[in-house]
Amino acid sequence: MSAIEFDGVSRTFWARPGVFRRRSIEVRALTDVSFSVEPGELFGLLGPNGAGKTTSIKILTTLLLPTSGRARVLGFDPASEPQRVRPQIGYVFGGDRGLYDRLSARDNLSYFADVYRVPAREKQRRIDELLDVVGLRGRERERVETFSRGMKQRLHIARGLLHDPPVLFLDEPTIGLDPVGARELRETVAGLQSAGKTILLTTHYMYEADELCGRVAVITDGRIVAEGTPASLKRGIADRTVIEIEATGVEEPLVSRLREMEGVTSVVVEEQDETQLVLVQSSLGAQLVQPLIGALEGVTVRAVTAREPTLEDAYVALVGAA
Amino acid sequence: MIRAFATGLRVHLVHLLRSPFDLVAILIWPVIFASIAYYLIGTEGSTRVLFVASLGAAMMMLWSQVIVGSGFSLDQQRNQGTLELLVAAPVPLVIVIAPVMIASAAFGIYGLLVTLAWGRFAFGIPIAIDHPVAFVVAAVAAIVSIGLLGLIAASLFVLSRAASYFGVALQYPVYLASGLMLPLALLPAWIDPLSWVLAPTWGYRALTHASGGGGAWRDIGMCVLLSAVYLVLALPCLAWFERVARDRGTLKLS
Repeated sequence: MSAIEFDGVSRTFWARPGVFRRRSIEVRALTDVSFSVEPGELFGLLGPNGAGKTTSIKILTTLLLPTSGRARVLGFDPASEPQRVRPQIGYVFGGDRGLYDRLSARDNLSYFADVYRVPAREKQRRIDELLDVVGLRGRERERVETFSRGMKQRLHIARGLLHDPPVLFLDEPTIGLDPVGARELRETVAGLQSAGKTILLTTHYMYEADELCGRVAVITDGRIVAEGTPASLKRGIADRTVIEIEATGVEEPLVSRLREMEGVTSVVVEEQDETQLVLVQSSLGAQLVQPLIGALEGVTVRAVTAREPTLEDAYVALVGAA
Repeated sequence: MIRAFATGLRVHLVHLLRSPFDLVAILIWPVIFASIAYYLIGTEGSTRVLFVASLGAAMMMLWSQVIVGSGFSLDQQRNQGTLELLVAAPVPLVIVIAPVMIASAAFGIYGLLVTLAWGRFAFGIPIAIDHPVAFVVAAVAAIVSIGLLGLIAASLFVLSRAASYFGVALQYPVYLASGLMLPLALLPAWIDPLSWVLAPTWGYRALTHASGGGGAWRDIGMCVLLSAVYLVLALPCLAWFERVARDRGTLKLS
C-alpha cells in the first residue's frame, strides 16, 4: 500500500468578483491529478506559483475537500476520515506564519504538543529533543516575534514533528531562507527521510529537489506534466545544450526572434541585479553560439557559456511546453 | 483533551495580555460606558444604583470582547496561519476554539476591575460586595456562559473572515435584550423571553445579586444551564461549518 495516493483528483474554486450582477467564475486549481508516494520515500512536487502544489497538500492534510477523485494517506481518506488522518501527519509550510508571535518558542511547542495529543509524560522530553534537532536550544524562552525567519522556519519543523508523525508534508519549507539556513534545513529534511519518514515536499527550487528527492512530479496549471527520478527528467533533455548569455538590454521582440531560430527549443530570461541572464536550450549544441551572438544586435553581451542541462532546465522545458 | 483545552486557555490569555493595543482598548471601553451610565443616572442616584450600572458596563464590555474580540482573534489566527494548524489537529475543533472564546471573555475580568476602580476613584462609588464568594463564582459563571454563547457564533468566524463584522452588529441588540443598557421593564414585553436565553442577562443578574441583596445562586445556576445548552448547540454548528470551510477553502486568508 502506498503511503500517499492521489487518484484522479480535481479541485475547482468559484470566485464571485464584482458587487452587482455577480457571476461565478470557475477556477480549476487541479485537473485529474494522480501520483503516489511509497512508505519512506521523499517525493517532490515541483511547479511554478499557482500550479496547484499547495492545493494538493491542503487536500491531503484534510484542510480542503477535492471536487472529484480520491486521496489516501496511509489508507485513510482525508475528505471523509479526517480524524484518522490527522494524528498520522505533520504539516509544515514556508514563511514566517503559523506561530504565535507573542509567545515563546517553548510555549508554542507546548500548546501544539497538547493539541496534537503528545502524552503528558513525554511532552517535555520531546520538546527538548526537538529543540536540539532544530538548533534552538537556549533560545526557547524568547518570544517568537524576536526570531529570524530561519529560526521561525526551524521552529515550524519542530512543531510538525512533535507527535512523531510517519508522514510529513513540507510546503516550500525553505522559501525566504538565506543560503546557509536553507542548507541546514535541507540537511534536517534528509535526516528525517533517513529516520524512515514519508515526505511530500513542494518546492520551486530545483537544486533542492535534485538534492533531496528520490522521485519528483512536475505540475503546472493544475496538471501533472512529468513524473520520474530527477535523473530521468534530465535524461529527457540530454540531447540539448544550455547556452547562458549574460547581457543587458534584452527586450521581448528580441526574445521572440530567438525562439524562432532554427535549433532553439526554449528561451527564458531571468532578471538579475544589473544584468539579464538569457537561457537558451538548443538541440544543435555549441554550434548555435555564433548565430545567437549575431542575433543579439544592439544588446550588450558580457559573457556566453555552454553547459549540460540540469534539473532546472528540464523543469523549464516541461513547464514551457505545457 | 482537558490538557489541550487548559493549555489553549492559558496560551490565548497570555497572547491577549501581551498585546499593548488590546490592553489599552479594553481600558478605554468600559470607562466610557461606565461614565455615560454615571452621568445619565446623575448624582441623585444612590451609590448602589451607580455600582449596579458599573456592573452593567462591565458586562457590556465582556460581551463585546467575546463577540467582537474573539471574532477578530480568530481572524488574526487565520492571517497568521495558526487557524489551519488548529483545524488540522487531531483534537475536536471545539477543544481549540472554545479556549479562544473563553479567554476573550476572561480578559473581560480586567475590564470589570477597571470599571469598578474607575467608579471608585472618579465618581466615589464604594466597591460594596455583600457576598464575595458568590460574586467570584458569578463572575466565573458569566465568563464561561458568555464565552460558550460566543462559541455558536465562532462557527461562523471559522467559515469566513467577513463574519467578524456580523459580531460587531450583534453587540447592541444583546446589550438591550439582556437589560445591560436599559432596564428590561422599559422595553416591550416580547423581549423578555429573548432575554431568558441570553447568558449576559443571567451573568449580570448574578453579579448584581451577589454584590447586594443575595439570591445569586439561582442566576448562577441559569448560567450553568445555558452553558450546557450552548455547548450542545455549538458542537454540530462547528462540525458543519468546518466542513463548509473545507469545501470552500476559507481556512486560510488568500
